[in-house]
Amino acid sequence: MNCWKPYLEETELKMSRKRSDFCGRTRREFIWQTGGGFGAAALSSMLGQDGFFQESAASDSISVNPLAAKPPHFAPKAKSVIFLFMYGGPSHIDTFDYKPTMNGMDGKTVEVKTFGRGGHRKGGRIVEPRWKFQQHGECGKWVSSLFPNVAKHVDDIAFLNSMTADSPIHGSAMLMMNSGKVLSGSPALGSWVNYGLGSENENLPGFVVMLDPAGGPISGAKNWSSGYMPATYQGTVFRSNGAPILNLAPPEGISLDMQRQLIDSIQQANKTHLSTRVGNDDLSSRIASYELAYKMQSTAPEAVDLSTEDEKTKTLYGIDRDETRDFGTRCLLARRLVQRGVRFIQLYSGGAHNDSNWDAHGDLELNHNRHAGRTDQPIAALLTDLKQRGMLDETLVVWGGEFGRQPTAEYAKGSGRDHNSYGFTMWMAGGGIKGGISFGTTDELGSQAVENPLHVKHLHATVLHQLGMDPNQLSYFFGGLNQKLVGVEEVEPIHQIIA
Amino acid sequence: MYAQRVSLLVNPKLFVFALLFSSIAVEAQESIKVDKVDFVQEIKPILAKHCYACHGPDEAEAGLNFSTEKTAFAEAESGHFAIIPRDPEGSAILERVTSKDEFERMPPEGDRLTDSQVATLRRWIEQGAVWDEHWAFKPMKDVPVPEVENQDWSKHPIDAFIYQSLTQAGLQPNSSATPAALLRRAYYSLTGLPPTAEQIKQFESDSTQAAFSKQIEQLLQSPHYGERWGRHWLDLVRYAETNSYERDGPKPNAWKYRDYVIQAFNDDKPYDQFIAEQLAGDELDEVTKETLTATGYYRLGIWDDEPADPKLAIYDELDDILTTTSQVMLGLTINCARCHDHKIDPIPQKDYYSLLSMFADVTSWGHRGDQRSNNQIDVSSDELNERYQSNDKAKRDVESALREIEQEGIAKMSAPDQRATEGPRKERQKIIDAKLKDHLDPERWSRYEELKAEQKQVEQETRELPPREMVMGLARAQKPEQMHVLQRGSPHAPGEPVEPDFPEVFGSPQVELASFKPTEKTAGRRRVLAEWITSSDNLLAARVVVNRIWQFHFGRGIVRSPNNFGQLGIPPTHPELLDWLALRFIESGWSFKQMHRLIMSSRAYQMSSEIRETAAKVDPNNDLFWKFDARRLSAEEIRDSILLTNGSLNENVYGPSFYPQLSREVLAGQSRPGSGWGQSNEADQNRRSVYIHVKRSLLTPLLTAFDFPDPDLTCEDRFMTLQPAQSLALLNSEFVHQQAKRLAKSIEMNELDDAGVVKETISSVLSRDASEDEIKLGQQLIRSLQTEHSISRERAIELFCLSVLNWNEFLFLD
Repeated sequence: MNCWKPYLEETELKMSRKRSDFCGRTRREFIWQTGGGFGAAALSSMLGQDGFFQESAASDSISVNPLAAKPPHFAPKAKSVIFLFMYGGPSHIDTFDYKPTMNGMDGKTVEVKTFGRGGHRKGGRIVEPRWKFQQHGECGKWVSSLFPNVAKHVDDIAFLNSMTADSPIHGSAMLMMNSGKVLSGSPALGSWVNYGLGSENENLPGFVVMLDPAGGPISGAKNWSSGYMPATYQGTVFRSNGAPILNLAPPEGISLDMQRQLIDSIQQANKTHLSTRVGNDDLSSRIASYELAYKMQSTAPEAVDLSTEDEKTKTLYGIDRDETRDFGTRCLLARRLVQRGVRFIQLYSGGAHNDSNWDAHGDLELNHNRHAGRTDQPIAALLTDLKQRGMLDETLVVWGGEFGRQPTAEYAKGSGRDHNSYGFTMWMAGGGIKGGISFGTTDELGSQAVENPLHVKHLHATVLHQLGMDPNQLSYFFGGLNQKLVGVEEVEPIHQIIA
Repeated sequence: MYAQRVSLLVNPKLFVFALLFSSIAVEAQESIKVDKVDFVQEIKPILAKHCYACHGPDEAEAGLNFSTEKTAFAEAESGHFAIIPRDPEGSAILERVTSKDEFERMPPEGDRLTDSQVATLRRWIEQGAVWDEHWAFKPMKDVPVPEVENQDWSKHPIDAFIYQSLTQAGLQPNSSATPAALLRRAYYSLTGLPPTAEQIKQFESDSTQAAFSKQIEQLLQSPHYGERWGRHWLDLVRYAETNSYERDGPKPNAWKYRDYVIQAFNDDKPYDQFIAEQLAGDELDEVTKETLTATGYYRLGIWDDEPADPKLAIYDELDDILTTTSQVMLGLTINCARCHDHKIDPIPQKDYYSLLSMFADVTSWGHRGDQRSNNQIDVSSDELNERYQSNDKAKRDVESALREIEQEGIAKMSAPDQRATEGPRKERQKIIDAKLKDHLDPERWSRYEELKAEQKQVEQETRELPPREMVMGLARAQKPEQMHVLQRGSPHAPGEPVEPDFPEVFGSPQVELASFKPTEKTAGRRRVLAEWITSSDNLLAARVVVNRIWQFHFGRGIVRSPNNFGQLGIPPTHPELLDWLALRFIESGWSFKQMHRLIMSSRAYQMSSEIRETAAKVDPNNDLFWKFDARRLSAEEIRDSILLTNGSLNENVYGPSFYPQLSREVLAGQSRPGSGWGQSNEADQNRRSVYIHVKRSLLTPLLTAFDFPDPDLTCEDRFMTLQPAQSLALLNSEFVHQQAKRLAKSIEMNELDDAGVVKETISSVLSRDASEDEIKLGQQLIRSLQTEHSISRERAIELFCLSVLNWNEFLFLD
């Protein structure tokens, strides 16, 4: 049951998931995917309704929100995703990938192949992990003292210790983690999710991005762009202060009442205009979009209004402390957005450049103490809160950066580490993911993945799979190809961590 | 090569009559088509998917290859024939795909053919196993204009084609649009701007065909025509002014390419020349500043300044160019054959790399240490070059004269001082400043001082010279290296070597290497490519471009997938009309403006957009053009029109891009807020949207909300979404409030009563008179805003103005 199927398969009676990839699709898919000159209403209707399976004529449609909820391929484990993006690349061997053999090796020169900002190297001076590790939970996972609070949740977390990516350079690596490709121009993971599933709450955007107060990540909006898909699916930047969304609030001096009056007047004119153009669905769609916009104006501010949260909750998230206030607020907002049906929420820890994010080229300790200090309690609180509300089962939490860091020092002096895409750690919790396990390993220095190496596409496949979508079937026809988030070759989700 | 033009279409009326005589009715073949198996649509995909792996272009096991007609019908090594037309029982293929014997059954691995596939295959063989070709891979056919039994619809060839297809479906075309709707349509079609109320009134008083033709002529002469149609081209070639990625660095002088495009449309530059200049502007007989600017085409793509895999990045850059060129100019997704043979279209992987070889002398945008030399071309005038040269010479002369005197003095200095002058320049200068005078006789010293003054003078002159003129383009080409087929598209796994050539599917003769005429700096291949694309017998170039012209008038192409005419594209709704138009286009000398005259003078273009329920039932998607499709304005049209309504649109044409004011929230998304975004004065900010700086990582939100495309990849057809973010932008954005304020001011609200305000606003925004109802409702709104919310009359009027800018009537075209 899938309408993304290539057109060759349309005539076939049975479907097999194990088919080789094929550059085909139905003509109808093509039509709505390109626009093909159909009216916007017809287009959005096709995007909204036809999406996965139904055969509905384009003309059946009247104003349908393209983000209307769509059925998944199969029963989903997760309804929403919260992606905690540790921008800059946290060091795995200083956090969740314990390397006891490195103890006492600080300053020793080793032969090890690395590739980072400073290019390819054959060896260097070891920087021994700077934090003490302890075992936690029933699973006995070793976690460093950077994350004492997150450590309490290891039994709910699946650690992916053998992650790899195609690029150790921020620009392309960010694109890869967010869109699956090192080339710019492809839709972000959140866009794919919204394209595939729509949004449960039409009064809120389906893909929300919340930035660090230090600034956006490099390449800015490219990281939440919908690429070749309609802008409907792009990420919306949500702010925790003031009006959460661009243009959401009327300018000063215009109350919502006043605006209602304006909208009523606009709608009256629009209805008169429509009365002589019966059958034009685009016109009715645009009329409907004003009502949606108006509802958003009250829904979105309510979503970010923390006054209804009790003090205990705020304290849990660390909103009462300077250090954790910002990230804690955003974690709490993320939970509130999930409660309101937002599909995909991405929080950035770190922004701008250098030590304003996890990019610890200079002083590793200063950098990681800062960023872990700001995020550890809020992340733990988010897991606690989701769990106690019974939401963790349906909410997939993903943690990690665009890559990890090298075991050796970048410069002659100091503890700074360069980028490492040969091996690093990410983790997932909730949303049908097994807890208390670690999958894959890196070598003794954490320089590269050795056992069960994982690629970013496996992570993406797992996210889609947990949301009830087949990563090898979710495709979008563009440029003559059935484009997929995970690429042309079949990719399996990481079954070993799926509950 | 492009000088001689045959102006066949100069007078559309004349040639319309001429063609009438040669019309032959085409028989309707509806009944035959119904049951006939379509080889391309139904059979070929089965063969490709289930058989090619062993019996296809790469492997021909048992001597059997289903990818060409000849080999598919040939005798196999077994002595059997796989396919015998009209003899399903004798055709081995049917026996094998249905065999119950595991060892006999085909395919041996993978999924069996379904019963319905087998049945289709059987029917195809029964019907004679016609090995047809995809429509687009067949030469264009000059079909006579059909004769139709309707006086009005038989006069214009386009109308005859349209009317014929409508009557075959039992449909009638719509009647004509009102003069007002038609004029608004034509204005936006050609310039992206609306007519004024007065212009509409004038046209309403005389809306004859002749009057309309006059309007079209005027619009075609307007410089705004190039802005509107140039922008269509910019969408296709993914025009942007930065490189994307972490630094999203600038593409200096990219705007000159944009201006080149606008100018080309304004000048009605023949399309073949337009293409040739972009592909080979540095290789033509006459290379000019303009043709070099056109090679900016090669510099528009994304570029990673620190790629993880530099070798792959080079091929990614070339692939980007090939993808754009093949989809935009040829309507083919040749890019699909980068890693493997094209699965559906007859494009083997080898053809991809042969075509790629045509671009083998194209250098990368640059490298991290030098991001200019490959892409910035010095096109300074001869006069300026001479001035720079003579200045350089004067500078050198005076410097050597100075040095000569210095050496005279130095020779008389102490040994340590002499040594010091041989060291670093700074040390030398120190000694000279301190001691030279003492070691020269007064005459020489005064000569030295004279020369020093001269030197200052020359330096001053150099500083005052106008800057050298640079354009963005293919500043440096490189010697082509041997190209190989890359296995799975990986540059780390080169396969067999390939020579530059055109894709087989075009059936063109193989390119002779001798036909390349390398220039001093280039390999001469791109010129050959350009000449091939724009030759009158190229299968696709003319079809593809007339389809686009049609698309930008009617909202969709005759082929609805304008970048894909291959077998995965959407077949044309009017194939004969498409060919007819393409051939007329070539005859006219590849003239866009002639095509506009032709298309816009048809009834088909002038129809109303009314939705008749009966017709909508039969043809809901308007496949047959029984109506003209209404449309929402594009992002640029919306912004420009808003500026026009209040008189603030700055209509200056051409020049560097400007930066609209972006709010702090928007800039906060950048890692360095405001970085790479300049400040423009108010006059510049009132310019048309086509001049907005296109920064890949910071697209202007007002434009993207209304579907301005992502510029990383070619955009064949913009989305037309209707979403709340658009309504929010037009209700709340700083821009729209500022413009509403200006609108209120521009109608001189203080001189008018409320009714007058409503009339003037509606006239300015919608170019028509307000109705009695509208006046009443507008007055009510202005009053109640004041009484209920205690705001001033001025403010209330501003908000009324804002509301009218939100009306569907303003944003949609009938």
